[in-house]
Amino acid sequence: MPKYAMVIDQRRCVACMACVVSCKKENEVPPEHFRTRVLEMVEGEFPKLRMELRSELCNHCDNPPCVANCPTGASYKREEDGLVLLKKYRCVGCKACLAACPYDARYINPDKGFADKCTFCEHRIKEGKEPACVATCIGKSRIFGDMDDAKSPVRVALQGAHAEVLLKHAGTQPRVYYIKKFSKPE
Amino acid sequence: MELTVTGTNAITSPFLHAWDWRVALYLFLGGMAAGLAVMSSILRLKNAGKSAEGESASFWGPLWVPIILSFGMLFIFWDLDRKLNVYWLYLTFKPFSPMSWGSWGLLLFFPVCALNALVTMPGEYRHWLRFDVLRTLVDRLQPHKRLLAILNFVFGIFVGLYTGVLLSAFVARPFWHSALLPLLCLVSALTAGAAFMAIIAKRKAVKLFFTKVNVSIVIAELIVMVLFSIGLATSQGGAVMPSFSFILEYLLYGMAIALVAKLLLVTDERSDALPDRAVLLMQVSAAMVLAGGLMFRISLVYAGQLSHLV
Ligand code: SF4
Ligand code: SF4
Repeated sequence: MPKYAMVIDQRRCVACMACVVSCKKENEVPPEHFRTRVLEMVEGEFPKLRMELRSELCNHCDNPPCVANCPTGASYKREEDGLVLLKKYRCVGCKACLAACPYDARYINPDKGFADKCTFCEHRIKEGKEPACVATCIGKSRIFGDMDDAKSPVRVALQGAHAEVLLKHAGTQPRVYYIKKFSKPE
Repeated sequence: MELTVTGTNAITSPFLHAWDWRVALYLFLGGMAAGLAVMSSILRLKNAGKSAEGESASFWGPLWVPIILSFGMLFIFWDLDRKLNVYWLYLTFKPFSPMSWGSWGLLLFFPVCALNALVTMPGEYRHWLRFDVLRTLVDRLQPHKRLLAILNFVFGIFVGLYTGVLLSAFVARPFWHSALLPLLCLVSALTAGAAFMAIIAKRKAVKLFFTKVNVSIVIAELIVMVLFSIGLATSQGGAVMPSFSFILEYLLYGMAIALVAKLLLVTDERSDALPDRAVLLMQVSAAMVLAGGLMFRISLVYAGQLSHLV
Protein backbone atom coordinates (compact mmCIF):
# COMPACT_ATOMS: atom_id res chain seq x y z
CA MET A 1 0.00 0.00 0.00
CA PRO A 2 1.66 3.23 -1.04
CA LYS A 3 1.46 6.30 1.16
CA TYR A 4 1.61 9.15 -1.29
CA ALA A 5 3.10 12.46 -0.24
CA MET A 6 4.64 15.56 -1.75
CA VAL A 7 7.72 17.53 -0.84
CA ILE A 8 8.01 21.18 -1.80
CA ASP A 9 11.66 22.18 -1.83
CA GLN A 10 11.22 25.92 -1.50
CA ARG A 11 14.95 26.46 -2.13
CA ARG A 12 14.41 25.46 -5.74
CA CYS A 13 11.23 27.36 -6.58
CA VAL A 14 11.52 30.32 -8.93
CA ALA A 15 7.79 31.18 -8.96
CA CYS A 16 7.47 30.53 -12.68
CA MET A 17 3.89 29.31 -12.10
CA ALA A 18 4.32 26.44 -14.56
CA CYS A 19 2.77 24.13 -11.96
CA VAL A 20 -0.29 26.35 -11.66
CA VAL A 21 -0.78 26.40 -15.42
CA SER A 22 -0.20 22.68 -15.91
CA CYS A 23 -2.63 21.86 -13.13
CA LYS A 24 -5.29 24.06 -14.65
CA LYS A 25 -4.83 22.42 -18.03
CA GLU A 26 -4.55 18.86 -16.77
CA ASN A 27 -7.61 19.05 -14.55
CA GLU A 28 -9.67 21.53 -16.54
CA VAL A 29 -9.91 23.78 -13.52
CA PRO A 30 -12.58 26.43 -14.19
CA PRO A 31 -11.63 30.09 -14.66
CA GLU A 32 -10.81 32.00 -11.49
CA HIS A 33 -10.27 28.80 -9.52
CA PHE A 34 -7.04 27.01 -8.67
CA ARG A 35 -6.09 23.67 -7.20
CA THR A 36 -2.61 24.89 -6.52
CA ARG A 37 -1.05 28.31 -6.11
CA VAL A 38 2.35 29.83 -5.48
CA LEU A 39 2.35 32.45 -2.77
CA GLU A 40 4.98 35.16 -2.96
CA MET A 41 5.64 36.70 0.41
CA VAL A 42 8.10 39.50 1.08
CA GLU A 43 8.95 40.41 4.63
CA GLY A 44 11.57 42.27 6.57
CA GLU A 45 12.96 45.77 6.78
CA PHE A 46 14.45 47.47 3.75
CA PRO A 47 17.09 46.73 2.57
CA LYS A 48 17.07 43.46 4.49
CA LEU A 49 14.17 41.86 2.72
CA ARG A 50 13.36 38.22 2.49
CA MET A 51 11.13 36.54 -0.01
CA GLU A 52 9.37 33.27 0.45
CA LEU A 53 7.85 31.42 -2.47
CA ARG A 54 5.44 28.80 -1.30
CA SER A 55 3.45 26.38 -3.39
CA GLU A 56 0.20 25.43 -1.75
CA LEU A 57 -2.26 22.69 -2.59
CA CYS A 58 -4.44 20.15 -0.84
CA ASN A 59 -2.32 18.46 1.83
CA HIS A 60 -4.16 15.14 1.65
CA CYS A 61 -4.25 15.33 5.42
CA ASP A 62 -4.18 12.16 7.50
CA ASN A 63 -6.73 13.75 9.83
CA PRO A 64 -8.76 15.73 7.29
CA PRO A 65 -11.39 18.09 8.74
CA CYS A 66 -12.99 18.38 5.29
CA VAL A 67 -13.84 14.67 5.41
CA ALA A 68 -15.09 14.78 9.01
CA ASN A 69 -17.34 17.74 8.25
CA CYS A 70 -18.80 16.44 4.98
CA PRO A 71 -22.41 15.46 5.78
CA THR A 72 -22.92 13.22 2.75
CA GLY A 73 -19.73 11.17 2.70
CA ALA A 74 -18.80 12.74 -0.66
CA SER A 75 -15.38 13.71 0.70
CA TYR A 76 -13.45 10.67 1.77
CA LYS A 77 -9.95 9.43 2.49
CA ARG A 78 -9.05 6.50 0.29
CA GLU A 79 -7.85 3.65 2.44
CA GLU A 80 -5.36 2.11 0.04
CA ASP A 81 -3.18 5.19 -0.54
CA GLY A 82 -4.46 7.91 1.79
CA LEU A 83 -5.54 10.28 -0.96
CA VAL A 84 -8.37 12.60 0.03
CA LEU A 85 -10.85 12.41 -2.84
CA LEU A 86 -14.43 13.21 -3.76
CA LYS A 87 -17.36 11.13 -4.83
CA LYS A 88 -18.88 13.90 -6.88
CA TYR A 89 -22.19 12.12 -7.35
CA ARG A 90 -22.78 12.41 -3.60
CA CYS A 91 -21.78 16.05 -3.18
CA VAL A 92 -24.66 18.36 -2.32
CA GLY A 93 -22.62 21.56 -2.61
CA CYS A 94 -23.12 22.55 1.03
CA LYS A 95 -19.60 24.01 1.27
CA ALA A 96 -18.94 22.65 4.78
CA CYS A 97 -15.65 21.21 3.50
CA LEU A 98 -14.56 24.61 2.16
CA ALA A 99 -15.14 26.17 5.55
CA ALA A 100 -13.43 23.26 7.30
CA CYS A 101 -10.17 23.26 5.32
CA PRO A 102 -7.56 25.38 7.13
CA TYR A 103 -5.56 25.61 3.89
CA ASP A 104 -8.39 26.96 1.72
CA ALA A 105 -7.58 24.22 -0.73
CA ARG A 106 -11.12 23.71 -2.03
CA TYR A 107 -13.52 25.50 -4.32
CA ILE A 108 -16.98 24.91 -5.71
CA ASN A 109 -17.07 24.13 -9.40
CA PRO A 110 -19.15 27.05 -10.67
CA ASP A 111 -20.71 25.07 -13.54
CA LYS A 112 -21.38 21.76 -11.85
CA GLY A 113 -21.85 22.86 -8.22
CA PHE A 114 -19.72 20.18 -6.54
CA ALA A 115 -16.72 20.80 -4.33
CA ASP A 116 -13.37 20.17 -5.96
CA LYS A 117 -9.67 20.23 -5.18
CA CYS A 118 -6.27 18.71 -5.93
CA THR A 119 -6.30 14.93 -6.26
CA PHE A 120 -2.51 14.52 -6.54
CA CYS A 121 -3.52 13.79 -10.17
CA GLU A 122 -4.92 10.45 -9.12
CA HIS A 123 -5.73 9.64 -12.76
CA ARG A 124 -2.05 10.04 -13.69
CA ILE A 125 -0.74 8.10 -10.67
CA LYS A 126 -2.90 5.20 -11.83
CA GLU A 127 -0.96 5.22 -15.11
CA GLY A 128 2.38 5.31 -13.29
CA LYS A 129 2.94 9.00 -13.98
CA GLU A 130 3.72 11.84 -11.61
CA PRO A 131 1.17 14.58 -10.87
CA ALA A 132 1.14 17.20 -13.64
CA CYS A 133 2.62 19.94 -11.44
CA VAL A 134 5.53 17.69 -10.45
CA ALA A 135 6.20 16.58 -14.02
CA THR A 136 6.28 20.17 -15.22
CA CYS A 137 8.27 21.75 -12.39
CA ILE A 138 11.42 23.16 -14.02
CA GLY A 139 13.30 23.69 -10.76
CA LYS A 140 12.44 20.24 -9.39
CA SER A 141 10.90 22.01 -6.45
CA ARG A 142 7.90 19.72 -6.38
CA ILE A 143 8.73 16.13 -5.54
CA PHE A 144 6.24 13.28 -5.33
CA GLY A 145 6.40 9.70 -4.12
CA ASP A 146 5.58 6.99 -1.65
CA MET A 147 6.57 7.73 1.95
CA ASP A 148 6.70 4.01 2.73
CA ASP A 149 9.37 3.41 0.10
CA ALA A 150 12.83 4.37 1.40
CA LYS A 151 14.09 4.88 -2.16
CA SER A 152 11.25 7.09 -3.33
CA PRO A 153 12.09 10.70 -4.31
CA VAL A 154 10.18 12.12 -1.34
CA ARG A 155 12.10 10.06 1.19
CA VAL A 156 15.39 10.91 -0.48
CA ALA A 157 14.53 14.62 -0.54
CA LEU A 158 13.58 14.64 3.12
CA GLN A 159 16.77 12.93 4.24
CA GLY A 160 18.88 15.37 6.25
CA ALA A 161 16.57 18.26 5.42
CA HIS A 162 14.57 20.20 7.91
CA ALA A 163 11.04 19.77 6.66
CA GLU A 164 7.92 21.38 8.00
CA VAL A 165 4.22 21.07 7.37
CA LEU A 166 1.81 23.98 7.19
CA LEU A 167 -0.31 24.81 10.25
CA LYS A 168 0.94 21.85 12.23
CA HIS A 169 -1.05 23.03 15.26
CA ALA A 170 -4.31 22.51 13.34
CA GLY A 171 -3.83 18.79 13.95
CA THR A 172 -4.58 17.87 10.35
CA GLN A 173 -1.39 15.83 9.83
CA PRO A 174 -0.65 17.05 6.31
CA ARG A 175 1.16 14.98 3.70
CA VAL A 176 2.78 17.91 1.95
CA TYR A 177 6.19 18.70 3.42
CA TYR A 178 8.10 21.94 2.96
CA ILE A 179 11.85 22.30 2.90
CA LYS A 180 12.32 25.97 3.72
CA LYS A 181 14.86 28.18 2.08
CA PHE A 182 16.48 29.74 5.11
CA SER A 183 15.83 27.31 7.88
CA LYS A 184 18.42 24.93 9.22
CA PRO A 185 17.88 21.53 10.79
CA GLU A 186 17.19 21.93 14.51
CA MET B 1 9.85 50.42 8.43
CA GLU B 2 8.60 46.85 8.59
CA LEU B 3 7.46 45.70 5.21
CA THR B 4 5.21 42.69 4.91
CA VAL B 5 3.66 41.70 1.64
CA THR B 6 1.73 38.48 1.71
CA GLY B 7 0.14 36.74 -1.22
CA THR B 8 1.19 39.29 -3.82
CA ASN B 9 0.04 36.77 -6.33
CA ALA B 10 -3.46 38.00 -5.76
CA ILE B 11 -5.18 36.00 -8.45
CA THR B 12 -4.31 32.70 -6.84
CA SER B 13 -4.57 33.97 -3.29
CA PRO B 14 -7.23 32.13 -1.38
CA PHE B 15 -10.23 33.68 0.22
CA LEU B 16 -13.20 31.90 1.58
CA HIS B 17 -16.57 33.00 0.45
CA ALA B 18 -18.57 29.88 0.98
CA TRP B 19 -21.69 31.10 2.69
CA ASP B 20 -23.71 34.25 2.21
CA TRP B 21 -26.88 35.90 3.56
CA ARG B 22 -28.92 32.77 2.82
CA VAL B 23 -27.00 30.83 5.46
CA ALA B 24 -27.26 33.79 7.86
CA LEU B 25 -31.04 33.84 7.33
CA TYR B 26 -31.21 30.07 7.77
CA LEU B 27 -29.43 30.34 11.10
CA PHE B 28 -31.57 33.29 12.19
CA LEU B 29 -34.88 31.69 11.21
CA GLY B 30 -33.83 28.26 12.51
CA GLY B 31 -32.82 29.90 15.79
CA MET B 32 -36.06 31.86 15.98
CA ALA B 33 -38.15 28.73 15.32
CA ALA B 34 -36.18 26.92 18.03
CA GLY B 35 -36.62 29.78 20.51
CA LEU B 36 -40.31 30.01 19.68
CA ALA B 37 -40.70 26.26 20.25
CA VAL B 38 -39.14 26.68 23.70
CA MET B 39 -41.17 29.77 24.61
CA SER B 40 -44.52 28.46 23.37
CA SER B 41 -43.90 25.24 25.31
CA ILE B 42 -43.17 27.29 28.42
CA LEU B 43 -46.50 29.07 28.01
CA ARG B 44 -48.28 25.74 27.68
CA LEU B 45 -46.49 24.02 30.56
CA LYS B 46 -46.48 26.97 32.98
CA ASN B 47 -49.08 26.84 35.78
CA ALA B 48 -50.27 23.47 34.44
CA GLY B 49 -51.52 25.17 31.26
CA LYS B 50 -53.55 27.89 33.01
CA SER B 51 -51.44 30.71 31.56
CA ALA B 52 -52.26 29.53 28.05
CA GLU B 53 -56.02 29.71 28.59
CA GLY B 54 -57.72 32.41 26.52
CA GLU B 55 -54.39 33.32 24.89
CA SER B 56 -54.33 32.95 21.13
CA ALA B 57 -50.49 32.89 21.13
CA SER B 58 -50.67 29.47 22.78
CA PHE B 59 -51.85 28.22 19.36
CA TRP B 60 -50.27 30.75 16.98
CA GLY B 61 -46.88 30.40 18.69
CA PRO B 62 -46.60 26.64 18.02
CA LEU B 63 -48.09 27.12 14.54
CA TRP B 64 -45.44 29.64 13.56
CA VAL B 65 -42.65 27.22 14.54
CA PRO B 66 -42.96 24.86 11.51
CA ILE B 67 -43.71 27.81 9.22
CA ILE B 68 -40.59 29.77 10.23
CA LEU B 69 -38.55 26.57 10.20
CA SER B 70 -39.74 25.82 6.64
CA PHE B 71 -38.58 29.24 5.48
CA GLY B 72 -35.23 28.71 7.19
CA MET B 73 -34.82 25.33 5.51
CA LEU B 74 -35.80 26.88 2.20
CA PHE B 75 -32.89 29.30 2.49
CA ILE B 76 -30.35 26.58 3.28
CA PHE B 77 -31.70 24.51 0.41
CA TRP B 78 -31.35 27.53 -1.85
CA ASP B 79 -27.72 27.77 -0.79
CA LEU B 80 -26.90 24.18 -1.83
CA ASP B 81 -25.07 24.12 -5.13
CA ARG B 82 -26.25 20.64 -6.12
CA LYS B 83 -29.80 20.56 -4.90
CA LEU B 84 -30.75 17.31 -6.61
CA ASN B 85 -28.25 15.42 -4.46
CA VAL B 86 -29.95 16.50 -1.26
CA TYR B 87 -31.19 12.95 -0.58
CA TRP B 88 -27.60 11.89 0.17
CA LEU B 89 -27.89 13.84 3.43
CA TYR B 90 -30.45 11.25 4.48
CA LEU B 91 -28.61 8.20 3.23
CA THR B 92 -25.63 9.06 5.40
CA PHE B 93 -24.98 9.81 9.03
CA LYS B 94 -21.61 11.34 9.81
CA PRO B 95 -21.07 11.57 13.58
CA PHE B 96 -18.40 14.29 13.33
CA SER B 97 -20.28 16.46 10.88
CA PRO B 98 -22.52 19.04 12.59
CA MET B 99 -24.31 19.50 9.28
CA SER B 100 -25.22 15.82 9.30
CA TRP B 101 -26.58 16.16 12.86
CA GLY B 102 -28.50 19.23 11.74
CA SER B 103 -30.08 17.54 8.72
CA TRP B 104 -31.27 14.60 10.82
CA GLY B 105 -32.20 16.79 13.78
CA LEU B 106 -34.40 19.05 11.65
CA LEU B 107 -36.00 16.01 10.06
CA LEU B 108 -37.09 14.89 13.54
CA PHE B 109 -37.90 18.37 14.86
CA PHE B 110 -40.24 19.22 12.00
CA PRO B 111 -42.89 16.54 12.64
CA VAL B 112 -42.69 17.12 16.39
CA CYS B 113 -43.34 20.86 16.08
CA ALA B 114 -46.00 20.33 13.39
CA LEU B 115 -47.86 17.80 15.59
CA ASN B 116 -47.50 20.12 18.56
CA ALA B 117 -49.10 22.90 16.49
CA LEU B 118 -51.96 20.59 15.49
CA VAL B 119 -52.82 19.48 19.02
CA THR B 120 -52.86 23.04 20.34
CA MET B 121 -55.35 24.05 17.66
CA PRO B 122 -58.49 25.46 19.31
CA GLY B 123 -61.98 24.16 18.33
CA GLU B 124 -62.85 27.15 16.16
CA TYR B 125 -60.01 26.34 13.76
CA ARG B 126 -60.67 22.60 13.56
CA HIS B 127 -62.39 23.04 10.20
CA TRP B 128 -58.92 23.86 8.78
CA LEU B 129 -58.13 20.18 9.05
CA ARG B 130 -59.46 18.97 5.73
CA PHE B 131 -58.69 15.28 6.07
CA ASP B 132 -60.34 12.82 8.44
CA VAL B 133 -57.03 11.17 9.07
CA LEU B 134 -55.64 14.47 10.44
CA ARG B 135 -58.66 14.98 12.68
CA THR B 136 -58.34 11.44 14.02
CA LEU B 137 -54.63 11.96 14.59
CA VAL B 138 -55.22 15.17 16.50
CA ASP B 139 -57.89 13.46 18.64
CA ARG B 140 -55.58 10.55 19.39
CA LEU B 141 -52.76 12.89 20.37
CA GLN B 142 -54.83 15.04 22.74
CA PRO B 143 -53.83 13.01 25.84
CA HIS B 144 -50.15 13.51 24.88
CA LYS B 145 -50.31 17.29 24.60
CA ARG B 146 -47.95 17.76 27.52
CA LEU B 147 -45.45 15.25 26.20
CA LEU B 148 -45.43 17.01 22.81
CA ALA B 149 -44.85 20.37 24.49
CA ILE B 150 -41.92 18.87 26.41
CA LEU B 151 -40.48 17.32 23.24
CA ASN B 152 -40.91 20.65 21.46
CA PHE B 153 -39.00 22.33 24.26
CA VAL B 154 -36.15 19.80 24.15
CA PHE B 155 -35.83 19.96 20.35
CA GLY B 156 -35.95 23.76 20.56
CA ILE B 157 -32.90 23.73 22.84
CA PHE B 158 -31.14 21.21 20.56
CA VAL B 159 -31.76 23.25 17.38
CA GLY B 160 -30.86 26.53 19.13
CA LEU B 161 -27.52 25.04 20.19
CA TYR B 162 -27.01 23.46 16.76
CA THR B 163 -27.09 26.85 15.00
CA GLY B 164 -23.90 27.60 16.92
CA VAL B 165 -22.28 24.16 16.84
CA LEU B 166 -22.47 24.21 13.04
CA LEU B 167 -20.01 27.09 12.98
CA SER B 168 -17.99 26.44 16.14
CA ALA B 169 -16.85 23.04 14.86
CA PHE B 170 -14.52 24.61 12.27
CA VAL B 171 -10.98 24.64 13.65
CA ALA B 172 -9.99 26.42 10.44
CA ARG B 173 -12.02 29.56 11.32
CA PRO B 174 -10.76 30.97 14.63
CA PHE B 175 -13.61 33.47 14.81
CA TRP B 176 -16.15 30.67 15.02
CA HIS B 177 -14.04 28.13 16.84
CA SER B 178 -15.22 28.94 20.34
CA ALA B 179 -16.99 26.71 22.85
CA LEU B 180 -19.07 29.75 23.80
CA LEU B 181 -20.58 30.15 20.34
CA PRO B 182 -23.28 27.44 20.69
CA LEU B 183 -24.33 29.02 23.99
CA LEU B 184 -24.39 32.47 22.42
CA CYS B 185 -26.50 31.18 19.54
CA LEU B 186 -28.86 29.43 21.94
CA VAL B 187 -29.50 32.58 23.98
CA SER B 188 -29.88 34.56 20.77
CA ALA B 189 -32.46 31.99 19.58
CA LEU B 190 -34.31 32.21 22.89
CA THR B 191 -34.44 36.02 22.77
CA ALA B 192 -35.84 35.86 19.23
CA GLY B 193 -38.45 33.30 20.35
CA ALA B 194 -39.47 35.36 23.39
CA ALA B 195 -39.63 38.54 21.28
CA PHE B 196 -41.85 36.78 18.74
CA MET B 197 -44.17 35.57 21.50
CA ALA B 198 -44.30 39.08 22.98
CA ILE B 199 -45.32 40.43 19.57
CA ILE B 200 -48.06 37.91 18.81
CA ALA B 201 -49.52 37.58 22.32
CA LYS B 202 -53.00 39.09 22.66
CA ARG B 203 -53.29 39.33 26.45
CA LYS B 204 -51.26 42.09 27.99
CA ALA B 205 -50.26 39.86 30.92
CA VAL B 206 -48.75 37.32 28.51
CA LYS B 207 -47.01 40.07 26.54
CA LEU B 208 -45.53 41.41 29.72
CA PHE B 209 -44.45 37.95 30.82
CA PHE B 210 -42.49 37.35 27.61
CA THR B 211 -41.07 40.86 27.69
CA LYS B 212 -39.73 40.16 31.16
CA VAL B 213 -38.38 36.77 30.11
CA ASN B 214 -36.76 38.45 27.15
CA VAL B 215 -35.03 41.11 29.20
CA SER B 216 -33.47 38.44 31.43
CA ILE B 217 -32.24 36.44 28.43
CA VAL B 218 -30.98 39.54 26.62
CA ILE B 219 -28.92 40.42 29.70
CA ALA B 220 -27.59 36.84 29.75
CA GLU B 221 -26.80 37.15 26.02
CA LEU B 222 -24.91 40.39 26.52
CA ILE B 223 -22.82 38.75 29.25
CA VAL B 224 -22.05 35.73 27.04
CA MET B 225 -21.20 38.11 24.21
CA VAL B 226 -18.71 39.99 26.40
CA LEU B 227 -17.08 36.65 27.28
CA PHE B 228 -17.11 35.59 23.61
CA SER B 229 -15.49 38.90 22.63
CA ILE B 230 -12.82 38.51 25.31
CA GLY B 231 -12.12 35.05 23.90
CA LEU B 232 -11.83 36.54 20.41
CA ALA B 233 -9.60 39.37 21.51
CA THR B 234 -7.17 36.92 23.08
CA SER B 235 -7.18 34.49 20.14
CA GLN B 236 -6.59 34.52 16.42
CA GLY B 237 -10.26 35.25 15.84
CA GLY B 238 -9.85 38.76 17.20
CA ALA B 239 -8.29 39.92 13.95
CA VAL B 240 -11.69 40.11 12.29
CA MET B 241 -13.85 41.08 15.21
CA PRO B 242 -16.94 42.77 13.74
CA SER B 243 -16.93 45.39 16.47
CA PHE B 244 -19.19 47.75 14.57
CA SER B 245 -22.10 45.37 14.29
CA PHE B 246 -21.56 44.03 17.81
CA ILE B 247 -21.71 47.58 19.18
CA LEU B 248 -24.86 48.23 17.14
CA GLU B 249 -26.36 45.08 18.56
CA TYR B 250 -25.53 46.20 22.10
CA LEU B 251 -27.16 49.52 21.31
CA LEU B 252 -30.32 47.91 19.97
CA TYR B 253 -30.58 45.52 22.90
CA GLY B 254 -29.78 48.30 25.34
CA MET B 255 -32.48 50.53 23.87
CA ALA B 256 -34.95 47.65 23.86
CA ILE B 257 -34.32 47.07 27.56
CA ALA B 258 -34.49 50.79 28.30
CA LEU B 259 -37.85 51.06 26.52
CA VAL B 260 -39.47 48.48 28.74
CA ALA B 261 -37.44 49.07 31.90
CA LYS B 262 -40.33 50.69 33.75
CA LEU B 263 -42.71 47.91 32.80
CA LEU B 264 -40.47 45.37 34.46
CA LEU B 265 -41.64 46.64 37.83
CA VAL B 266 -45.28 45.94 36.99
CA THR B 267 -46.64 42.87 38.74
CA ASP B 268 -48.50 40.23 36.76
CA GLU B 269 -51.81 40.74 38.57
CA ARG B 270 -52.23 44.30 37.29
CA SER B 271 -50.64 43.76 33.91
CA ASP B 272 -53.88 43.22 31.95
CA ALA B 273 -54.74 46.82 32.78
CA LEU B 274 -51.58 48.21 31.18
CA PRO B 275 -52.11 51.30 28.99
CA ASP B 276 -51.82 51.00 25.19
CA ARG B 277 -48.61 52.99 25.30
CA ALA B 278 -47.00 50.22 27.35
CA VAL B 279 -48.13 47.65 24.78
CA LEU B 280 -46.57 49.72 22.02
CA LEU B 281 -43.29 49.90 23.96
CA MET B 282 -43.28 46.13 24.35
CA GLN B 283 -43.93 45.64 20.62
CA VAL B 284 -41.15 48.06 19.64
CA SER B 285 -38.63 46.58 22.04
CA ALA B 286 -39.42 43.05 20.82
CA ALA B 287 -38.93 44.19 17.20
CA MET B 288 -35.56 45.69 18.16
CA VAL B 289 -34.49 42.44 19.76
CA LEU B 290 -35.40 40.59 16.54
CA ALA B 291 -33.40 43.13 14.49
CA GLY B 292 -30.41 42.70 16.84
CA GLY B 293 -30.64 38.91 16.50
CA LEU B 294 -30.66 39.11 12.70
CA MET B 295 -27.68 41.42 12.71
CA PHE B 296 -25.81 39.09 15.03
CA ARG B 297 -26.30 36.15 12.64
CA ILE B 298 -25.27 38.12 9.57
CA SER B 299 -22.10 39.49 11.16
CA LEU B 300 -21.30 36.05 12.56
CA VAL B 301 -21.52 34.29 9.19
CA TYR B 302 -19.51 36.91 7.29
CA ALA B 303 -16.85 37.61 9.92
CA GLY B 304 -16.09 33.94 10.46
CA GLN B 305 -15.22 33.49 6.81
CA LEU B 306 -12.67 36.27 6.99
CA SER B 307 -10.77 34.56 9.77
CA HIS B 308 -7.91 32.20 9.05
CA LEU B 309 -5.75 29.99 11.13
CA VAL B 310 -2.18 31.30 11.05
S1 SF4 C 1 -5.73 20.30 2.79
FE1 SF4 C 1 -7.88 20.83 3.14
S2 SF4 C 1 -8.98 19.81 1.50
FE2 SF4 C 1 -6.97 18.85 1.58
S3 SF4 C 1 -7.25 17.06 2.95
FE3 SF4 C 1 -6.51 18.76 4.24
S4 SF4 C 1 -8.37 19.69 5.01
FE4 SF4 C 1 -9.00 18.42 3.27
S1 SF4 D 1 -19.72 20.52 -0.52
FE1 SF4 D 1 -19.86 18.35 -1.09
S2 SF4 D 1 -17.89 17.46 -0.49
FE2 SF4 D 1 -18.08 19.44 0.55
S3 SF4 D 1 -18.95 18.95 2.55
FE3 SF4 D 1 -20.69 19.46 1.22
S4 SF4 D 1 -21.33 17.48 0.39
FE4 SF4 D 1 -19.28 17.15 1.24
